[in-house]
Amino acid sequence: MKIEMKNIDKAFGAIEAVKDVSFSVSGGEVCALIGENGAGKSTLMNILGGVLPADRGEILIDGQQVNFQKPADSLNAGIAFIHQELNLINDLPIYENMFIGRELKKKGRILDLEKMIARTQEVFDQMEIDLNPKTMVRDLDTSYKQIVEISRAIMMDASIIIMDEPTTSLTDQEIERVFAMMKTLKKQNVGIVFISHKLNEVIEFCDRYSVLRNGELVAEGMVSEVNVDQLARAMVGHELRTDSLQRKAESGREVLRAENLSYNNDFKNISFSVHQGEILGVTGLLGDGRQELFQAIFGSGEIEAGELYLNDQQVEIKNTTDALQKGIGYLPRDRKENGIIKDMDIFENASIVTWPLFDNFGIIDREKQEQEFKEQVERLRIKMGAKNDPINSLSGGNQQKIVLAKWLIANPEIFILDNPTQGVDVGAKEDIYDIILELAAEGIAVVILSSEAKEIIRICDRALVMYHGVIQGELSQSEMSEHEIMRLATGASSNSVQEGAEDAKK
Amino acid sequence: MQKNNKQNSEQGFTQWFIKKWSTEPIFSTGIALIVMIILQTWSLGFDYDSFGSWFFTWTNNWINILRNNAGVGLIALGMSFVIMSAGIDLSVGSTMVAVGAALMMLIDRGPNGILINLGIEGIPAILIAILVSLAFGYFLGNLNGILITRGGIPPFVVTLATMKLYRSVTQHFMQGYNPRVPIEFLPISNFQIGRFRMMPIIYWLLIAAVLYFMSKRTTFGRQIIAVGSNERSANLSGVNVKKVKRRVYAITGLLVSFAAIIQVSRIGSMDYANAGSGYEMEAIAAAVVGGTSMSGGRGTVIGTLLGVLIIAVMNNLLNLLGVPPFLREAFKGLILIGAVLMQKKQKTV
Repeated sequence: MKIEMKNIDKAFGAIEAVKDVSFSVSGGEVCALIGENGAGKSTLMNILGGVLPADRGEILIDGQQVNFQKPADSLNAGIAFIHQELNLINDLPIYENMFIGRELKKKGRILDLEKMIARTQEVFDQMEIDLNPKTMVRDLDTSYKQIVEISRAIMMDASIIIMDEPTTSLTDQEIERVFAMMKTLKKQNVGIVFISHKLNEVIEFCDRYSVLRNGELVAEGMVSEVNVDQLARAMVGHELRTDSLQRKAESGREVLRAENLSYNNDFKNISFSVHQGEILGVTGLLGDGRQELFQAIFGSGEIEAGELYLNDQQVEIKNTTDALQKGIGYLPRDRKENGIIKDMDIFENASIVTWPLFDNFGIIDREKQEQEFKEQVERLRIKMGAKNDPINSLSGGNQQKIVLAKWLIANPEIFILDNPTQGVDVGAKEDIYDIILELAAEGIAVVILSSEAKEIIRICDRALVMYHGVIQGELSQSEMSEHEIMRLATGASSNSVQEGAEDAKK
Repeated sequence: MQKNNKQNSEQGFTQWFIKKWSTEPIFSTGIALIVMIILQTWSLGFDYDSFGSWFFTWTNNWINILRNNAGVGLIALGMSFVIMSAGIDLSVGSTMVAVGAALMMLIDRGPNGILINLGIEGIPAILIAILVSLAFGYFLGNLNGILITRGGIPPFVVTLATMKLYRSVTQHFMQGYNPRVPIEFLPISNFQIGRFRMMPIIYWLLIAAVLYFMSKRTTFGRQIIAVGSNERSANLSGVNVKKVKRRVYAITGLLVSFAAIIQVSRIGSMDYANAGSGYEMEAIAAAVVGGTSMSGGRGTVIGTLLGVLIIAVMNNLLNLLGVPPFLREAFKGLILIGAVLMQKKQKTV
């Protein structure tokens, strides 16, 4: 079976997510679809999976045009989409998951368990998988869950399988297991679309590649003809750093120092320090552990081993209130889940952090809060109606500014911002950068966690790149480039970075 | 909205009314209450010798309704804060019995009375007994809170367990013993103002006023809403979520002990097996009718007061109308479902 997507266009409002992209995959080959976050990979595959309609362009299966209205159409045509969030029910055994919605029944509507188990075993045998169909899905690790989903797709006669970043949350051992399964699939003439930004996996495992950047197809070809560096360069492009916001600022004394922090598999042996007036960037790909690390430093997660020093004094942060009182601020990612409180109005959302700091015997100092609020609204150029309007009445960018404002009012000594410009428009993004620079100029130690290499390069003085819970490398202002960051983030070691830098000089 | 109100055209008023009705739970609850009061007044009848005697009967009826509901009313206030924080407290009735028993043992004039055996009598004994009871209620509530936050057990399970525990232990210790409550203790609830016994109502409304202020103006009060609405956001905003939750249960325990004091001073005794049983459901119903969202984050003190009144007035109305007693609970159920349906509509608007 061969699937071709021709000249696909898709826009969301004014944003063109996919521009004139053609893509194809045939049975028995593994085709990598790579690109940065927001490059349009998911949109393109959602069109193929029948989740989204294309604005323009056509999809051909073995030369015949098809029209997918809903995911079921695509599934019936033999295309299975394995999403990053797995679609299994933990409290049912494997075999019931395999047949969910299409259970085999005996006469009188009684489930035919024996037959379902036998059929599942058959598929496992065919795929050379060593799993007991009666195992509860809850007891499987993520790789096996993925294997169960793939087996389900095979059982439903899928001949093309789309895998959306299947390895991001897996350990190395688990990754091997999924790859072994993919090899078997290949032998059985199943085509695989492998969405990833782990470039070494692409090189090791895929036959062909297509690179998307800003919704456009920028490169494609045979994997055997390229290396990781070339792919990384294709992913990030060659734009010049014309609008860099980096300053040649002297950073002051050390404010925060971490020594060998570890927790579980989330982060291991993390040591670093941040200084007054410095903007430290921390980046990496999904599953790098930076969010877990900094939430733990903020008191919202656990630390198993290692020491944390604030102004050269060893501290233990018990909870977030403790962190707030010790002068640590944290702007979380995913505004909806972690940032705003929908049952409170704009003013309350902007003052929640400082209620306990400014209150008199527990009574909120409304006058002071209102005055601070007014100042922040002006400083951050927040566009809003009345201060008692619901928080949801604001645009995404302005909501983010309110979340920022609540921490600015608290005036922290160290301010950790996790994806500060996530989901905000270009104008608000620049406003937020301006504020970050102002904060550093005021002597606040700023830590920016971001998955966008561009963002890190534009505003940070120094960057740490994380990979699977460890700091893979540290880059100074002059060493930073999207290419280097991508190399470290995809697991290349520090040494080869220097080689790469030398290569670039030649 | 108020500008619309001033536009005297009928259309403007209708629009204003619909908007208010659909966006503000207190408005619709308030109107429901007014309708019920009109019905209740009407069924009380106007067949009296003079306006004075009608007014006395009407007022007396009201004082009775309010006084009988002051205890549940106080508990409902605590319950509404617990629910606002996205929790639940099923142990309130049992806590009331435990505190009531402790209170009576302290002030007992019989041979087993604790304070009398220590040589403390009269007003000092009463004051000490009240303070110890309040502390005990706070302690029992706090215990719920600790089990929920430190133990990580769901509130429903913890308070279901302590509901069993508190009552059972009380019954075991008391073994049906009836302490003799001193006469000086009874005026706490039975002191007459004019011709009316309305002390419990005064306590209830005073405490409600304090709680209203707490919920609107204090850090703790607002943090309850934040925790109930979005625990993750609250935690990442530096709110000590565990502490807030624990204190919500502790304060509910405190309010329950006020209810216990009122109960003991009203009747002078307590039925350990049955007193307060079902109060948790009454309190939850009142909070929900008053617009408190079971998933947390929404609710007000005034709404809960109205919720208690609606259920109370409806009871009274059913009584006046002569509805068979077994059927009355059904009406409560209907009101509850109606109130929640109305809230659901408000969410989607």
